[in-house]
Amino acid sequence: MSAAKRVLLVEDNEMNRDMLSRRLQRRGFDVGIAVDGRAGVEMALTGGYDVVLMDMNLPEIDGWEAARQVRAGEQGRRVAIIALTAHAMQGDREKALAAGCDEYDTKPVDFERLLGKIATVLGSAP
Amino acid sequence: MPSRPASLASARQSALLRLSAEIAASLEEEDVCQRVVAGLRDESLGYNLIGVFLLDENTGERILRACVGWDHVQVGMRIGAGHGLTEQALRSKKLSYTPDVAKAPDYVATFPTGSEVDVPLIVEGEAVGVLCVQSHDVDAFGKPDFEILTAAANQASIAIARARLLVNERKRADEQQALLDSMSDLASALELPKVLRAVLNRAVKLLGVAGGQVAIYHEATREMEIVASEIVDGDFIGTRLAYGEGAMGIVAKTLQGIVIPNYNEWIGRPELYSKSNIHSVMAAPLLIGGRLVGSIATTHGDPARVFGADDLRRLKLFAPQAAIAIENARLFTNADRQKQFFEAVVEASPVAIVTLDMKDDIVQLNPAFERLFGWTPDEVMGKNLDSLIATPETLAQARAYTSMAATQTAKGIGKRKRKDGSIIDVELFGVPVTVNGERIGVFALYHDVTELLRAKSEAESANKAKSQFLASMSHELRTPLNAIIGYSEMLEEDARDRKDTASVGDLEKIRSAGKHLLSLINDILDLSKIEAGRMDLIIEPVDLPAVIADVKATVQPLIARNGNTLEVSAAATLGTMYTDGTKLRQMLLNLLSNAAKFTEKGTVSLSVERAGGEIFFRVRDTGIGITPEQMSRLFEAFAQADAGTTRRYGGTGLGLAITRRFCRLMGGDVTGVSEAGSGSTFTIQLPADSRAAKPAPELAL
Repeated sequence: MSAAKRVLLVEDNEMNRDMLSRRLQRRGFDVGIAVDGRAGVEMALTGGYDVVLMDMNLPEIDGWEAARQVRAGEQGRRVAIIALTAHAMQGDREKALAAGCDEYDTKPVDFERLLGKIATVLGSAP
Repeated sequence: MPSRPASLASARQSALLRLSAEIAASLEEEDVCQRVVAGLRDESLGYNLIGVFLLDENTGERILRACVGWDHVQVGMRIGAGHGLTEQALRSKKLSYTPDVAKAPDYVATFPTGSEVDVPLIVEGEAVGVLCVQSHDVDAFGKPDFEILTAAANQASIAIARARLLVNERKRADEQQALLDSMSDLASALELPKVLRAVLNRAVKLLGVAGGQVAIYHEATREMEIVASEIVDGDFIGTRLAYGEGAMGIVAKTLQGIVIPNYNEWIGRPELYSKSNIHSVMAAPLLIGGRLVGSIATTHGDPARVFGADDLRRLKLFAPQAAIAIENARLFTNADRQKQFFEAVVEASPVAIVTLDMKDDIVQLNPAFERLFGWTPDEVMGKNLDSLIATPETLAQARAYTSMAATQTAKGIGKRKRKDGSIIDVELFGVPVTVNGERIGVFALYHDVTELLRAKSEAESANKAKSQFLASMSHELRTPLNAIIGYSEMLEEDARDRKDTASVGDLEKIRSAGKHLLSLINDILDLSKIEAGRMDLIIEPVDLPAVIADVKATVQPLIARNGNTLEVSAAATLGTMYTDGTKLRQMLLNLLSNAAKFTEKGTVSLSVERAGGEIFFRVRDTGIGITPEQMSRLFEAFAQADAGTTRRYGGTGLGLAITRRFCRLMGGDVTGVSEAGSGSTFTIQLPADSRAAKPAPELAL
């Protein structure tokens, strides 16, 4: 079995951050935390993460812009990005994919479904 | 035969010449007769008595029209038919000579003795009178006398024929004139009772009769109503005769004129006239182009007066003119009544009504207009309506409505100004006024909707505020709820790791209740967004087989939970539709999860078809079914088949309400059919292309 996958959680809401990070750790992920878009971009580009869970409504720069900057800034290795958006925001999925995200999921997070999506993007990642 | 002097011959010749000259200048019957007797009067001829009798066609009597040498009788004397020597000449149409009058049995004594020559006056082959010449002497006449008297009679006949022709011509001319007179003033009279009286009065005068009546025909009841009467003894106005009853009823039926000579013995006489002094009656129908308008009758009370063919001819000549006059008056009365009715309606209308001329100036307004705008008719008559009541902001709009109303119906809502400057909201309605094909102006209605609009806008903003509140509440509720669900899941996992089964069960209950609350909140959020008009459609190309596969995979665990099987029937060639894909998924999942929830160990099927410009999604189950009463409430928010259902099966009861609203937003619908106990089928029907879909705005008010 390979080493623990590294997940970067970019989330400004403390409770969501706490809950998601702890649940991911329980499932064996190595979880990094960023609390705004700018920090998220920097960590995604330099932290050697396998997957980024990117909240779209972020202070400083929002999730879509952050995703674009990650795509623009990364060299060689491509990190998987899963966009997380609030329920019922129309067109978010398309917007997220257009910004360079690989997957999309709605909040509140259905944890089992999220795990499925993480597995999918990691499996298809080069 | 006695001999006479030879100069007699020349006396005869000169008498005849004189007579010819006299008669030639005469144009009247009476005058002709006088000139004949005057011309033959010559002492030397020995004609002691000369008379001209003319026949009275009606009675058969002979009337003495001129005479000389007959001192004890007067012109105008009548000799009854069957009497006198002149009868012979009349009957035979030949000269008759009586040499000794004393011996003649028919002789009506004038002179006790003498002889008489009677020569008929023949006009158009008919004997119309007799030239009668007597001598005091017995057998005083001879062949020369017969010749001269025959010649005189011939000349007199010609002159009488000419005079009669002239009289007839004049009579016709007079009748024509009388008719023309009737026509011109009857046509201008428009009040029906007056016209009827005038018509009857003309007829009575024209025909020289004692009285008469006019009845009009009521088509609906097939009755004749007596509307004018000049029969003194009786009140007939308003009395009705049946079609075919009495003289006027009969002519209405036969459409022919009728003369009844002995009315009192006539079998058809209505009881109504039993007390009237009517001896004879003549009646004619009043027709316009063959259509019955009424009848007219004239009467004589004098037994000596009898209606003849000529009277009937004149009545028939008069009848069409009378019919037209009556009909005109009737039409006008109807039109006038309608006009009065219409004016009363306008006066009493609670809606402000104003009439404009072609310059949009005020011509007429009703009391409701005065009340609404505060202007009296005197203040605004002739003023431009829009300049008067439009506000500076609405003047252009008001003018546009008014000019539109000049040619077609204009409807609108706008602000208008009252006399006191206050502003009101009005609903206006304008139509062109057209008279005889010519546009003469605009007819406009104004209805005060100030209160209505205020109530509507208050209701709308209250509704919007409610939806806004629900939307933000839902959003705010969700954040802590996420934490509750998330942490309870974590604790559940911990407890499972510790094999703490009691805690697992409790935490499971917290998580489940939280999820239910979350789905409720999400549904409320959807509904309130729809109701606030903030639910946007994202129309995109949607690959149907992909969506169906996706939905199938998602719903499969739920289907399996109750031991059901899922059958999907969708052609791989369904292709692409333009719709809101997210909402389509949500709707299909809703129908399928409902079917799965209410079915145990049965079959749930999804079939998708393209038909015409629409896509049909059918979800069928073999579950508990729904009664028609339940079905009717099912698409309302918070309705499940009954209150117990929610407890037993869970769910928010909002799914179908949301599905219906989504469908309608996209220009489609969802319907359900079911029989309690044998399953249900729900069908979503959506346009294959909703790019042009403009959901009908919710009806305001």
